[in-house]
Amino acid sequence: MKRFALTLTTIAAALALGGVLPTAQAQEVEVQGPLAGAPAVVGLRIYRQLRFQVQLHVAMTLQDEFSRSFIPGGQLMFHPTDWLGIGIWGGFALNIDTALTDQVVDKGQTNSVNVLSLPNAQLFSEQIGRIKWIAAPQVSFIPLRGKLGIFEKLFVDTDFYLFGGVGFVGLEERADVTSSKYVSCTASGSLSQAIPCFTDTVNGEGSRATRVAIAPTFGAGLSLYLADFVSMSIEWRALPFSWNTSGTDESGSDRGDFPDKQINSSDRLSHFNHMLTLGFGFYFPTQPRISSVD
Amino acid sequence: MNLSFRHGVEISRLARSRSASLGFLLSLAIASSVDAQDMSFDVDEAESAPAKPAKGKKGKESAPKSDDTEEGGEASVPASGGDVLSELTADKGKEETATDSGLPREKEVIEKIYAVQRMYVLRNGRFELAPSVSQTFNDQYVSHPALGAALNYWITNVLAVGVNLLWYQGIESESKLNFSIRRSTRLAVPITEYQLGAHLNFMYVPIYGKFEMFNDAIFQWDAYLVGGVGMLRTRPVAVIDPAVRTFNFDWHVSFNVGIGLRVFVTKWLSIFGELRDYIYMEKLENLQVSLTARGNESTWIDPNSKLTNNVTVALGFSMFFPFTFDYSYPK
Repeated sequence: MKRFALTLTTIAAALALGGVLPTAQAQEVEVQGPLAGAPAVVGLRIYRQLRFQVQLHVAMTLQDEFSRSFIPGGQLMFHPTDWLGIGIWGGFALNIDTALTDQVVDKGQTNSVNVLSLPNAQLFSEQIGRIKWIAAPQVSFIPLRGKLGIFEKLFVDTDFYLFGGVGFVGLEERADVTSSKYVSCTASGSLSQAIPCFTDTVNGEGSRATRVAIAPTFGAGLSLYLADFVSMSIEWRALPFSWNTSGTDESGSDRGDFPDKQINSSDRLSHFNHMLTLGFGFYFPTQPRISSVD
Repeated sequence: MNLSFRHGVEISRLARSRSASLGFLLSLAIASSVDAQDMSFDVDEAESAPAKPAKGKKGKESAPKSDDTEEGGEASVPASGGDVLSELTADKGKEETATDSGLPREKEVIEKIYAVQRMYVLRNGRFELAPSVSQTFNDQYVSHPALGAALNYWITNVLAVGVNLLWYQGIESESKLNFSIRRSTRLAVPITEYQLGAHLNFMYVPIYGKFEMFNDAIFQWDAYLVGGVGMLRTRPVAVIDPAVRTFNFDWHVSFNVGIGLRVFVTKWLSIFGELRDYIYMEKLENLQVSLTARGNESTWIDPNSKLTNNVTVALGFSMFFPFTFDYSYPK
C-alpha cells in the first residue's frame, strides 16, 4: 500500500512538472509594422551621456578582522556615452576597532612564544593595520538601464553598472621589526624584560609605517535617479591586496618555519577587502537629453 | 474598443455595415474566444471587402471584439481616407502584392498592440524550483557555504509560500584568521559546524522593474523580501579542549529574513541573488575546562546560548512550473 501511494505521488508530481496539468499558451507580443526595428525605448532620459557626475558618498568596509573603515569621499566621472564613464573614486577613512580587537585587548595573553606578535595586549589596537585613504581611477560600464516600481506607486529611473580600475590604498601598519631587534630584546632570556622592549615596537617612536598598496578594484552598483540631475547609488566594491591586518608575526622562513622572529612584508596576508558604498550623485549639465526614434 | 475604425464610418455605408455584421457573426462562430481588452489590429480588416468577414492568420486574433458589436458591426468597415491606422498599415504588409513595376512587395501585419503592456511573467498558481549556492557574509572565523534548493508556490503574483533546504556539511572551512588568532594571541574563538537547515518561508515582491540593454533587449526583474522559520542543525567545533571534547549535531529553531533580486531570462527561467540572515540561538563550546570533571559532557557546552546571525549571500536560478501560463482580462 505504501509503495502504491508513493508511485501515485511520483506520477502526480511528474505530470504536474511535465505540464500535463492545466496550462495554456503564453502570447508573445510581436511588434511589427511601423514599430519593427524601432529602439526598445523612445523618449528615454539619457542621464549619463556627455555629463559630469560629482558624487558624495560614504563607504563601509565589510568582514573586517580588526579595524573597520568608514570612508567618506567623492567620485568625479565623465561619461562620453550613456554606457561608459571614466573617472576617479576616493575617500579618507575613519577607523573603528572591531569586537575582535576589543576581545584581544581584554583577554590576549603574552608568553615567550608570541611575545613578538603580542607584546602587550592592552596596546593591541596600536599595532593593527588600518586603511587611511583610497583613490581609484576607474572605468564604469553601464549595460542596463531601466526603471523600477515600488509598491506599484513610486517609479524611479535606474541603471546598473559595473566598474573596474586600479586602487591606490594608503595603509598604516606596524613597522618592521628586524631579527636583530628580536635578538636584542630576548637576549636576557627573561619575558618580563622582553615585553617592554617589544612594546616599544608597538607604541614607541617609529612603530607605525605607512605605505601605498596598489590593487585591482572592481564592483557593481545600482543608481536610482531621484531627479534629472540627482541620483542615489549603492555599490559593492572589492579591493583585494595583501597587508598585515594584525601586526603579528605570520610568516616563517623560506622553509615555512614559524615564527621567523621578525615583522616584515612577508607577514602580509592576502585579503579580499570589500565594501559597500552609499552615495548621492549630481550631474552637470543638469538637464539630460531625451532620446528620439532617430 | 476598435476605436480607429469608427472614424471611417459614414451613413452611406449602412448597407455595407449590415453585411459586415453578418460577417462578424460568422467569424464569431468560427473564432475562439478573444479577451475583451485586447486591442487587435489586422490589416486584412482594413483592406478586405466590406461584406467579407475579417480574416487573419489565426481566427481568434483577427476576430472582432465583443465591444465592436455595440457599433453595429462597424469593425469590419474598411478604413477610409484619414484613418491613421489604415495609413500606417496600407503599404507595409508582409503579404506579397504587386508594385507598379511588377515586383512583389512585402506587407507587414500588426498582429497585436496592447494599450497597456502585459506583465512579462505571471507567477500566481505556479511552482518555482530554485537551486542555489550560498556563502557566509559575516563570519570571519569559519565560512558556511551551502548548497540549497527552494520550492515555492505563488499564491498571487507577488506572494509565495515555500520551503528551502540547505546542506552545509563537508563544504565548510575554517579560516586562517581563526588559527592566526590562536597562535598570536593565545585566544580561542569558539566556532560551530553546520550540517543542514530547512525552513518554511514567505516571499513578497514589493519592487519590480525592467532594464534595457543598449536600447535593444529588455530584461524584467524584481526585488523581493523573504522571511520564515525553520530548523538548523549545528554542533560546536572543539577548539578549547579538542583532545577530550566531541560534539553531536543538534537542532535549533531558526528564523530568517532577507532580500533578493531576480532577473527573468525567459518566462519560466530566472537568475537571482539574495542576501539572507539566518538567526538562531547557538550553543557554543564552554571556554572553561573543568579540572575535576574534564570528561563530563555536561561541562563541555557553555550554559549560555548566543544569538547568532549567519548572513549569507546566495546565487542561483529558478524555474517556474508550468512553463507557460494564461493571461486573463477583466470582462
